[in-house]
Parts: sequence; structure tokens; C-alpha cells
Amino acid sequence: MATGNGVRRKLLLLIVLFAFWMVFTASLAWHELVLGAVSCALVAAMTVSLLGRALDPRITPAVLLRLPVFMLRLTWEIIKANYDVAKIILNPKLPIDPRIVEYRTYLPDDLPRTVFSDSITLTPGTVTVELEGNRLNVHCLCPYHEEGLAGLEKMVAWLFGIRKEGEVTADG
Amino acid sequence: MSAARDIVAGALCCIGTFFFLVGTTGLLRMPDVFTRLHPSTKCDTLGACSVIVGMAVYSGWSWELCKLVVIACFLLLSSATCGHAIGRSALRRNIPYWRRQGKETGDGNGA
Amino acid sequence: MDNFLTVIAIIIGLNAAICLYRAVVGPTTQDRLLGVNIVGTKTLVVVVLVTFILAENFFLDVAFVYALLLFVVTVAVARYLEAEGWKEAA
Repeated sequence: MATGNGVRRKLLLLIVLFAFWMVFTASLAWHELVLGAVSCALVAAMTVSLLGRALDPRITPAVLLRLPVFMLRLTWEIIKANYDVAKIILNPKLPIDPRIVEYRTYLPDDLPRTVFSDSITLTPGTVTVELEGNRLNVHCLCPYHEEGLAGLEKMVAWLFGIRKEGEVTADG
Repeated sequence: MSAARDIVAGALCCIGTFFFLVGTTGLLRMPDVFTRLHPSTKCDTLGACSVIVGMAVYSGWSWELCKLVVIACFLLLSSATCGHAIGRSALRRNIPYWRRQGKETGDGNGA
Repeated sequence: MDNFLTVIAIIIGLNAAICLYRAVVGPTTQDRLLGVNIVGTKTLVVVVLVTFILAENFFLDVAFVYALLLFVVTVAVARYLEAEGWKEAA
């Protein structure tokens, strides 16, 4: 089982690396493709212990399917947040009342938490300044910005298919 | 067709430049490091991404489009992470954060 | 279109020059780092624009490597400052 898993990880890494090779060589000439395949295979075999960690088991095909929808929703949130921040910055009175808020998230594992903290940084007037365990220290520009966090958390939970603990699920 | 594409690309470039200007203004006006992180991580990212997307529209279907999309995605990830790293180092070095005058400091949910 | 792109690139370049103020004056080291990061982002966009002004595709690779370097530099310096802070506090 362990060796089968290792081969699968190597193959996945090879595919990812080869996709990057294709994008950056920007050609379909056969010698480029052969060279890319050989070098990607070598790199995948040698660095699977280092780069293999990037292939988190939470990245499933379902997550990849939901990713474009998530990106679109996040882009909309980013545009709204930017409009908000631009309004604050261009206001001559500079109406800010910053504070650092502690937020506890129910998201498990590193990857969902990282996605969550990056989304926080990119959206409504909030910047994650510290992430430790399930505790986030969030710097808010205005007190009302804090209210957007729960909705964002729900969005990330939806992306990874995570249910809140203790929440009654509809399908039993 | 080509003219429409140029107009869309130009509009996206103008929006991006506007947000860059806002980001610069914010960087100069804000009172401390933490508040300066806001314009730098939000306005600059959106400005850069919208100029890059505008260039992607301008280039049309080609390999350049793939590269530009990769650069834009990387920028989204990296600027958020950079902002987080800078904020954390400021927090760990106990740089005090700016608060509006005339407010009590013991506000309950502060760190 | 080329003239338009040149004007945009010049405006963004001037923006970056103004941001240098924060990198030079910034009261704390983190402010300077933030200034450098922002100047870097703007330079990256100027490089992307130059690709299309000169119609030289290899500049896009330059832009990507620039983005990678900017990310690594910022995170490395931020982590370094953090470690220094811990030593001071102890």
C-alpha cells in the first residue's frame, strides 16, 4: 500500500510539473516535450519527499471542480472589499478604527486554514497577522469588517466539503 | 472584434491603474504598519491582477494567456502570504498598533 | 494601443517611485519591507506591460521569475526580522 501510494504521488507530481513545463516552454515541438517529460520524471522521482507534501490528500477531484466557482465568488468578494477600502482611503477624514480581533475557526488541517487566512487577507478590510492552531489574530480596519469573517469561513468549508461539528446535517 | 478586445483591455488597465493610485495613497496616508498592510494587500493585488487580466484579454488565445493567468494566480497567493508574514513579524516584535484617539484601551476583544 | 500602454506603464512607474518614500522613510523596518514589496509588485506589472509594448514574449518569463524572487525575499526577510525580535524579547 505504501509503495502504491508513493507511485501515485510521483505520478501526480509528474503531471503537475509537466503542466508547468508546458506553460513555460510555450511550444509543442516534440523535442521540447520529450526533454520536459524526462526532466520532470527525474525531478519527480528525486523530490517527491519534499514537494510531495504539496499534494495534500484534501485536494480531491470534487475540490478541483468546486475551485473555479470558489475563485469567482472570491473575486467578487475581493472587488467589493477593494471598493470599500478605496472609499475609506480616499475619504479625507480617514474613518478608521483599527483593532486586532481573535477568531477561532472550526476548519481542520493546515490547508483549509491557510486558504481561509489568505482569503481573509484579500477580503473585507481584514488582514490575518497570526495563525496558530485554530486561533487567528485578525487586524480589522473598521469594527464592522469583522462580520464578514463567518461568511468567508462558510465559503472555505464549502470548498473543502467540511461540515461544522455539532451541526445537524439534512441528509442524516 | 479586435477593437472590442482593445477597449476591454484598456478599461481593465485603467481600473488597475486607479487601484494602484489608491494603494499608493493608502500607503502614504495610513498611520501604522498594520493599517498600511490593508492597501498593500488589497488594492495592489487587485490593481496588478486587473492589469494582468487586461493584458491577457489583449493577447487573445495564445501561450501568453496561460503564462499571464499563472502569474496572476501566483500574485494572488504570494501577496496575501507576504502581507501575513510582514504582519506577523510586526506583531511578534510588539510594534504597537494605532488606535483612534479618545478610546479606552481595554476594549474587550483586543489582543 | 502601444502609446496607451506606454502611458499606463509610466504612470505605474511614477507610482512606484512615490512608494519608495515609504521604503526610505518608514519608521519601522516592517514599513520599509512593505514599501519594497509594493515597489516590486509595481515593477512586475511594468515588466508585463513592457512585454506587450515591445512585443517580446520572453519578458513574461522575466516577470514570473521576478514574482517568485519577490515572494521569497519578502518572506525570508520577514521571518528573519521575527527571529531577531524573539532574541530581543528573551
